[in-house]
Amino acid sequence: MQKSSYLMLIALVVAACARGPESKHKPVSYNHDIRPILADNCFGCHGSDLNKAEGKLSLMDFAHATSPRKDEPPAIIPGKPEQSLLVERIRDADDPMPPEDSHKTLTAQQKELLTRWIAEGARYEKHWAYELPRGSATPAVKDAGWPLSFPDNYLLERLESEGIKPAPEADRATLCRRLYQDLLGLPPTPEQLDAFLADQRPDAYERLVDQLLASPHHAERLATYWFDLVRYSDTVGLHGDQEHKAALYRDWVIASFLKNMPHDHFIQWQLGGDLIEGLSPEERNDALIASCYNRLIMTTHEGGAQPKEYTALYMADRVRNTSLAFMGASMGCCQCHDHKYDPYTAKDFYALGSVFADIDDLAHLKNQYRPQNNREVTLREPEMDLLSPLDRQRQAGLTAAAATEQNPERQKALLAEAGAIKPRTVMVSKASAPREVRFLPRGNWMDDSGPVMSPEVPRFLGSFAKLGVKDRRANRLDFGRWLTAPDAQGGCGELTARVWVNRLWCLFYGQGLCPSVDDLGGQGEICNHPELLDRLALEFVAGGWDNRKFIRMLVTSRAYRMSSVAAPAVMEKDPRNLLFARQGRWRLTAEHIRDTALAASGLLVSDIGGPTCRPYQPEGYYQHLQFPDRTYHADKDAKQWKRGVYVHWQRMFVHPMLKAFDAPSREDSCPRRGVTNTPLGALTVLNDPSFTEAARVLAGNALKAGGDDEARCRFILRRCLSRPAAEAEIKVLLKLLAGARKSFAARPAEAAKLLAVGLAPLDRSLPASELAAFTQVARVALNLHETITRD
Amino acid sequence: MFTDNSSRRHFLGQASMGLGLAALGSLGGNLFAAPAAAPGQSGPHFPAKAKRVIFLCMAGGPSHLETFDFKPRLRELHGKPMPAEFTKGQPIAQLQGKALNCFGPQTGFKRHGKSGTEISDFLPHIASIADDITVVRSMVTEQINHDPAHTFLNCGTILPGRPSMGSWVTYGLGTANANLPSFVVLTSKSSQGVQPIGNRQWSAGFLPGRCQGVEFQSKGAPVHYVANPDGISRGDQAEAMQALGELNRMRQAQIHDAELETRIEQYELAFRMQMSVPELTDLSQEPQTVLDEYGAKPGDGSFASNCLLARRLAERGVRFIHLYHRGWDFHGGLVSGMKESCAKTDKPTAALIRDLKRRGLLEDTLIVWGGEFGRTPMAQGDGRDHHIKGYSMFMAGGGFKPGITYGATDELGYHAVENIVNVRDLHATLLKQLGLDHQRLSYRFQGLDVKLTGVKPARVVKEILA
Repeated sequence: MQKSSYLMLIALVVAACARGPESKHKPVSYNHDIRPILADNCFGCHGSDLNKAEGKLSLMDFAHATSPRKDEPPAIIPGKPEQSLLVERIRDADDPMPPEDSHKTLTAQQKELLTRWIAEGARYEKHWAYELPRGSATPAVKDAGWPLSFPDNYLLERLESEGIKPAPEADRATLCRRLYQDLLGLPPTPEQLDAFLADQRPDAYERLVDQLLASPHHAERLATYWFDLVRYSDTVGLHGDQEHKAALYRDWVIASFLKNMPHDHFIQWQLGGDLIEGLSPEERNDALIASCYNRLIMTTHEGGAQPKEYTALYMADRVRNTSLAFMGASMGCCQCHDHKYDPYTAKDFYALGSVFADIDDLAHLKNQYRPQNNREVTLREPEMDLLSPLDRQRQAGLTAAAATEQNPERQKALLAEAGAIKPRTVMVSKASAPREVRFLPRGNWMDDSGPVMSPEVPRFLGSFAKLGVKDRRANRLDFGRWLTAPDAQGGCGELTARVWVNRLWCLFYGQGLCPSVDDLGGQGEICNHPELLDRLALEFVAGGWDNRKFIRMLVTSRAYRMSSVAAPAVMEKDPRNLLFARQGRWRLTAEHIRDTALAASGLLVSDIGGPTCRPYQPEGYYQHLQFPDRTYHADKDAKQWKRGVYVHWQRMFVHPMLKAFDAPSREDSCPRRGVTNTPLGALTVLNDPSFTEAARVLAGNALKAGGDDEARCRFILRRCLSRPAAEAEIKVLLKLLAGARKSFAARPAEAAKLLAVGLAPLDRSLPASELAAFTQVARVALNLHETITRD
Repeated sequence: MFTDNSSRRHFLGQASMGLGLAALGSLGGNLFAAPAAAPGQSGPHFPAKAKRVIFLCMAGGPSHLETFDFKPRLRELHGKPMPAEFTKGQPIAQLQGKALNCFGPQTGFKRHGKSGTEISDFLPHIASIADDITVVRSMVTEQINHDPAHTFLNCGTILPGRPSMGSWVTYGLGTANANLPSFVVLTSKSSQGVQPIGNRQWSAGFLPGRCQGVEFQSKGAPVHYVANPDGISRGDQAEAMQALGELNRMRQAQIHDAELETRIEQYELAFRMQMSVPELTDLSQEPQTVLDEYGAKPGDGSFASNCLLARRLAERGVRFIHLYHRGWDFHGGLVSGMKESCAKTDKPTAALIRDLKRRGLLEDTLIVWGGEFGRTPMAQGDGRDHHIKGYSMFMAGGGFKPGITYGATDELGYHAVENIVNVRDLHATLLKQLGLDHQRLSYRFQGLDVKLTGVKPARVVKEILA
């Protein structure tokens, strides 16, 4: 474009902006409008690191962007777009910015926004996720009868301004199933569903919520998500991928959610449980188990591993995880350089890494694989034999029962069972003399030229001194306290709370208030409901970091009860459901798909906690694991039918059923799983023996329940779908049944083979060909889209 | 949970309004390809020379000094101390703190073909196709231990959760055969004591799950759960699929959900795959002459059988075929080990290249042969330690310049000194041949436009391209 014509265009834009208060444009917002444009297109080359910035120009902040550089005028002259080099260059057809080789282009609308923003004074704002959450008054809405609690007001105000009507309330059966799935990760049994449908009390819904929130299965459900954040696994994840001892930590997380431990303490215990003083012996036991968190890193036991390299890698693993899991920040970038989009620096990275310097990682590297120690390669100090809090409760229950038991035989048995509960080994954290942590230039572990780093939090967010840690080296517990203490006490608790409540929201609505639940930093997505998110964070902190109370609030709102069926106009306007005019609808997670099949069939073993379980798995799946060679032994006892949260997590070979439904490897924090829809998923539910076994057991239960063919088909469908079947659906199943009956009556040997799948006992009193035929019906029911979907 | 199908829902929403049902149908017909708009993916960036890759991954780190990089000077210094200027300050694996002595080449080398390419006597069959291959003797990598070095070779970084090359290629190009996965991994049956590998090496990382490498098993069902449950005949399965489809469609009539539409398609395709995969993997249909040429016996799970299977996959349009042969990690017993591994891999490798050439497939199939690193010029007993500063790989077909040798290491085979090719350069060059620009093939993850070649410079090695 010729210079004169673009100046004219700018003049027009400026004139449009200058029309004053009657202008229909809202002022351009840096955070909402401008930062995403700059971040996507400019910061890559004009980021905060002036040594790296092209032309020594940083556009990250007002001071740099508006200062003259050597031989160059300022890129931005506030109020004067026509004199600003930035505007000239983005409109320069011959030598445009961003340059052609960046493969980035600005749209005409983006160019106009940038120009208007400069015309309005080029005001920068601190990124919202680093500002303290701000309180706000509950907005008034036109339909004042709709909101049940304050989040409803925020959502409805926005919907009303967009001219969108919220979806109607879902029917009660759907609501019941939704609550069970969201709060427990299990479908309701027909009896549970009937009980709710029959409950005519006005607060029946709230009563159900309270009942479910108190269930141990609710704790399992929250724990399943937590394990993605902290990348819980049963193996080390590198080279021979040997097992490490973490199962007690799994029990502790479940026990903590079960007793509704305040979430700030929950975080502190994991980072520094071993450092807390003044605990009771039981608490001390549990806090040590909690400190296993620091040991969930990936470790190697490969021969020839260089200690210096791996101590650096292990430290980086911890910084990456703590920043993603607790802070919603991608500090991993700073291992090599200052963050290009956020104010985190490489110095921050190593200073935070230094917080973990008291963990003796060299102990890992003393245990390299040798044939003579192959099974115990990951065993190393500090490991302790401790009692799982869940085991302790079980033991106490048995002992109490024994005390009141009159029958001496039974009493003896109860006491024997209690006595059989023994401590198990778990990795823990233990403070040792901190190793020297140096700043590593470009992340190079061989470069010793960097300064020695003391423990510190990211500088733009505060300091340990502000938290009151003076005259001593800050430790992991201090870091946990800093993450959770309110701003007024020198912490960043309100920010941590905001990251967590956004994720909780996502668990119950299918989408975060800020959709990028993993990363709220500068490259995250725009937050669509900033006032609501802030308000929720503040309420969470003020409420004492009480997860149960908070979740209760989330699921008793009006918005939560909406139907997931979107009106076509709403679907078109808001396909991603960013405005929450309807409930979300999503496929269940891998673990919950397993749990659903087990629960529907009646196979589910609902014991809480305990050792890792091993479901059937294709033979040879571990053939590539060596040091030592691995043979998988599927459980032959009741563990076979425990929930997905207890399935052995082999980082390098996650169980194929879980993997087919997007379970992460748990190598790194995974705040949000992908959801894919592939033939591998279909093949899994169709043919994995765990599902075939569930189908035959479900079929057996249908036969035992009695009634005619139709009643039995209804039985099967209702257990999978939590709703009565339609006539047309029954017709389809009856036709299938008739064909299957014929097929298996003619091939009794094949029927016997089908019924031999899985270890669950076979009721020989049931006619084999009938059972096989109904197994076909049950297979179809378990494979239905609706069965594995949360509506 | 947390599904974010927005782009595909949105896309399908548009499709059903704007493009009509025909478009919907054709979208659903892609098995492993995106039934959805893949964000950031735009097909080839420029005309492609190659349509697919067969990566013969020689895991464990084959010795360049006994394959493609002849060092007479090292033979002269055999048994003498390694000159310190070579090794000072260099990362060393198991030889840390040990005496470093030169270890001469353990086999002879000859020049082969019109090109006169120097190849060791351990590889007579590859030597017989010397004029068809492009040897690179100046590879360098950054990781000295197996697991991270593999991860670096396959994913371009050791950061966890990143996609492997095959996934990137699938993401960039989509599939050419809707009834097979686009990225297939074959691992040959290994002997004791080989290095482990994990499925991180064929992981889609943060890319859509359809880009995941699918491992074909040499024992049991070739793909997990591809076989019907015991006692279920194909007819039984067909009737179940019929009922399932009808019920899912009834539901769809009520909720009009793009995800459910996809589910219906995926089930139909899964059912078809239950036929196509066993047919594909059944090598007994191959003529005996072909089996003999490869040295393959149907069902033996050998590298030779996998090479033949790779050809069948290539014929059916699979984009990225990743063959693993583990067994090159000779810290000791180098000579016997090399003889054994070469005996297992040399003949089938040459047979595969010849077979593809005969069928006219070599020109658009890119073959890559090599491991995660090379071996030290220094002795570790009667073997060699890991070495990352200079090693060899070779390519064939796919628009590479045949019959040339590119780059060189120093006189002792320690440092690559001429025309150095690092792993990122290799990635950039492979992508270029597939029509993909390594700077543009990116995916937004945690706020970053992540690329296979990462942020450090990567160069297309034009000199080795035809």
